[in-house]
Amino acid sequence: MSDKSSSRPSGFDRRAFMAGAAGSVLVPMTARAAAQDASAPVAQDPSLPVEVTLRVNGKEKHLHLDARTTVLDALREHLKLTGSKKGCDHGQCGACTVLIDDRRVVSCLTLALAAEGQEITTIEGLATDDRLHPMQQAFIDNDAFQCGYCTPGQIMSAVACVKEGHAGNEADIREYMSGNICRCAAYPNIVAAVKQAAPEIMKG
Amino acid sequence: MTAAASEPKANMGQPVPRYDATAKVTGRATYASDMPLDNPAYAFLVTSAIAKGRIDRFDLDDAGRVRGVIDIVTHENAPKLKESKLFSNGGYAGTTIQPLKSAEIAHDGQIIAVVIAESYEAAREAANRIKVSYTAATPSASFDSPGTTTATAKGQNSQFKEDPKVGDFAKAFDAAEVKLTASYDTPTQHHNPMELFTTSCAWMGDNLVIYEGSQFVYGLKNGVAEQLGIDADKVRVVNPYVGGGFGSRGSMTPRTAIIAGIAKRLNRPIKLVPTRDQGFTIATYRAETRHEIKLGASRDGRLVALRHEGAEVSSRPDAYCVGGTKTTTRLYACPNVDSLVSIVRADRNTPGFMRSPPEVPYLFALESALDELAVKLDMDPIELRRINDTTNEPISGKPYTSRSLMACFDEAAKAFGWGQRSPQPKSMSDGDWLIGYGCAATCYPTQMAPSAARVRLQRDGRTRVEIAGHEIGTGAYTVIAQTAAERLGVPLEKVAVFIGDSELPPAPVAGGSNSTASTCSAVMMVCDQIRQRLLKAVMPSDSLADKAKETVGISPAPSTQAAKGDRSLDLEKAFDALGVVVLEEYGEWKPEGAPLDSFRAMHNGQVRLIGGHAMKDQIAYAFGAEFVEVRVNRFTHEIRCPRLVGAFAAGRIMNPRTARSQLMGGLIWGMSSALLEATELDERNARYVNDNLADYLVPVNADVPGVEVIMLSEQDDHINPVGAKGLGELANVGTNAAICNAIYHATGQRIRKLPVRLENIEV
Repeated sequence: MSDKSSSRPSGFDRRAFMAGAAGSVLVPMTARAAAQDASAPVAQDPSLPVEVTLRVNGKEKHLHLDARTTVLDALREHLKLTGSKKGCDHGQCGACTVLIDDRRVVSCLTLALAAEGQEITTIEGLATDDRLHPMQQAFIDNDAFQCGYCTPGQIMSAVACVKEGHAGNEADIREYMSGNICRCAAYPNIVAAVKQAAPEIMKG
Repeated sequence: MTAAASEPKANMGQPVPRYDATAKVTGRATYASDMPLDNPAYAFLVTSAIAKGRIDRFDLDDAGRVRGVIDIVTHENAPKLKESKLFSNGGYAGTTIQPLKSAEIAHDGQIIAVVIAESYEAAREAANRIKVSYTAATPSASFDSPGTTTATAKGQNSQFKEDPKVGDFAKAFDAAEVKLTASYDTPTQHHNPMELFTTSCAWMGDNLVIYEGSQFVYGLKNGVAEQLGIDADKVRVVNPYVGGGFGSRGSMTPRTAIIAGIAKRLNRPIKLVPTRDQGFTIATYRAETRHEIKLGASRDGRLVALRHEGAEVSSRPDAYCVGGTKTTTRLYACPNVDSLVSIVRADRNTPGFMRSPPEVPYLFALESALDELAVKLDMDPIELRRINDTTNEPISGKPYTSRSLMACFDEAAKAFGWGQRSPQPKSMSDGDWLIGYGCAATCYPTQMAPSAARVRLQRDGRTRVEIAGHEIGTGAYTVIAQTAAERLGVPLEKVAVFIGDSELPPAPVAGGSNSTASTCSAVMMVCDQIRQRLLKAVMPSDSLADKAKETVGISPAPSTQAAKGDRSLDLEKAFDALGVVVLEEYGEWKPEGAPLDSFRAMHNGQVRLIGGHAMKDQIAYAFGAEFVEVRVNRFTHEIRCPRLVGAFAAGRIMNPRTARSQLMGGLIWGMSSALLEATELDERNARYVNDNLADYLVPVNADVPGVEVIMLSEQDDHINPVGAKGLGELANVGTNAAICNAIYHATGQRIRKLPVRLENIEV
């Protein structure tokens, strides 16, 4: 398995990665990057695994990854955190939403390497000691899902929506929750859930 | 109580939270692609860039050099697979177009190669490095394309038996005092469930495990076994949670057997996660349809003549059709009815079931036409429906088992405030916004299919229910648990439910809205078998006969009533009298009128749906009425839909919470179908253009400000032991017409082609 439990820092140079990853498709940019920075190492083969350290739900994870691996695929395929879902892989549906340094981010459009050194929170990290997060409880109380596939993304987005101060009224909630598609169309119940959980989240 | 959990009325169960709620809000619910595999290889599909022609040559050199590539599978080296018949012809497959079989291309986006690699990233890179040379022919895209062929549905689709007709339509239409002829179009639509069409296959020796979101695990198991040429007992399909189906996962797609075959050859588990755009061509869709409606009526609004002609697109080899005339010719009283359905063959992937397959397009036409007739008659559209309401369907005169259509209209009209509508078009506005009110009827056939179940009850009340049903968001776990708890008289929290696994007793396809009625009837029956064994132990033999009749015979009385009489049974005493601590029963239930081969078919993964108009002496439908407010901006022509109100009657409501959510989602689906959804077709290339979730418009939260669901109390003792009518496909049917009727009221413009976009408004 690629998940190693050592605490060794990765020591990976992101600039070298950018040059390397772009090598096969964007030749002019590679050349320019190299010319601007004489100390840049020779571009490496992008398909060679690189070492990445991710901080996920408060724990440090050391991984060997294809440099093109997204945060979503790193979570799902390499860390066995399958709560975050792949619905489009294009940042169009929101099913993969996680918090990175408390900001909501579509993890399918974020490279794992770009998330190094930041705190990633997934749906698995939301409940504490088997006590549901107020937003999770509100989703249950208001039946804010049916098939449940978009739900982890909806909940992560909803938590951020409240913290951003966008849950003051129903119109705001609808607007700021519109980046997350629910094909079962539980939308009115999602609005009710965010409304219910917002005061408790703001309190504590 | 929250709005989500409304107070149950008569003949409704408790609105308990979903059985799977905690799993779903914590990320612990495992969908197919979440299942752990031991050292999987990753598959990536390559799909055809032409719609018709053949592959001349693959250049795989570049692709093969990508680090981590294990295998590249094309028609030249693909595992040999056997054919499977079309689902609607008694087989398992959603299409008979079998990719990787030859160099021939039958539609755009057909699978032409599969790359297997050590990582997803490598497989994807290699797939993009494959070069394909084609000899392309000009494809026929749709209705108006040269080169299509057209023939009546009757005679080529085994499920479409008859074009319903009665009386003398031509004569009656000629003589009618008021006449209407109008044509309607509906577009191509794709289900786009949130979960992608993933498949993971792992072999252990000769045994295959498939993790795939499926609405029919027994069908998939038997279908893949048939294609691989192995015993069905060697194949197991597992999917405890399905990320939305809407019909897209009811029949087998070609990808599954292909991945299974490759996994066998490579002796390694394979995980396929296709892209969203590939999902538009590797599975099914709702085909575009065209309709002509002719209505003749007397001045007082009685229908005297009705004709519905429909045309549907299908693929070259498969005569798929939905044939909604079976419903539209039977919905209202009318002595002279005629109908005809045709299938137009084009160079497309085979269409398939999508939420209320026949009713969505065909009722759009009929319910729009009725509104047009109401305008001609200068009559309130609700009154027109009331005048033509009927207790018996007009084609063969069979009685509806129950029909609350007008009660739904009245309840919804009251809640909506229909009385405040001024009937003249363009007569209501608010600043720059023209306001329109519209309504339409909705209905869906009540269907059942044979189902089995196994129930295990322990002395302490702990219960385990096993049934190969499907949790596609409908609340299957929840209503099955409720049924068992109620029937056995044990607390709900003591019931564990196991579904979504083809090793469990067979259940029918989660389609045609039959699941709750079928699976819960089976669970009820098996619970009664357990009760009977317990009763035998504690009851004197003379009273047993009565008790057994009440609880064991599949009496048509709804479950609560039958179960209540027996609540006094003391479980521990009964178990002690029997001298055991665990009782387990298996049973197979089938609906009245099911064919003799029903149970064999059930085990073989073949569907034998009973119900709707196809019942022997009666006809069973659920009904509803839908009201909408639209606002059309006078200057920009922007269309908004601030209010959707639906009232529905569907027999016993097992759980008002999950039922309400399905009906609410259905109303929003209907709005989406009317105003947003269409797969745009490049007619030159027979290619879907907007094959992603940014360009294929589905509603987001800001699109649906106000949705109100009203559930009427209805009891129907003639349908199934549970007394439930399926409602998952009830709410998204009438909405299309209701919205177009409201747009007419707002603007005076009648729009007969879906979806309605701002460029279609000419105020």
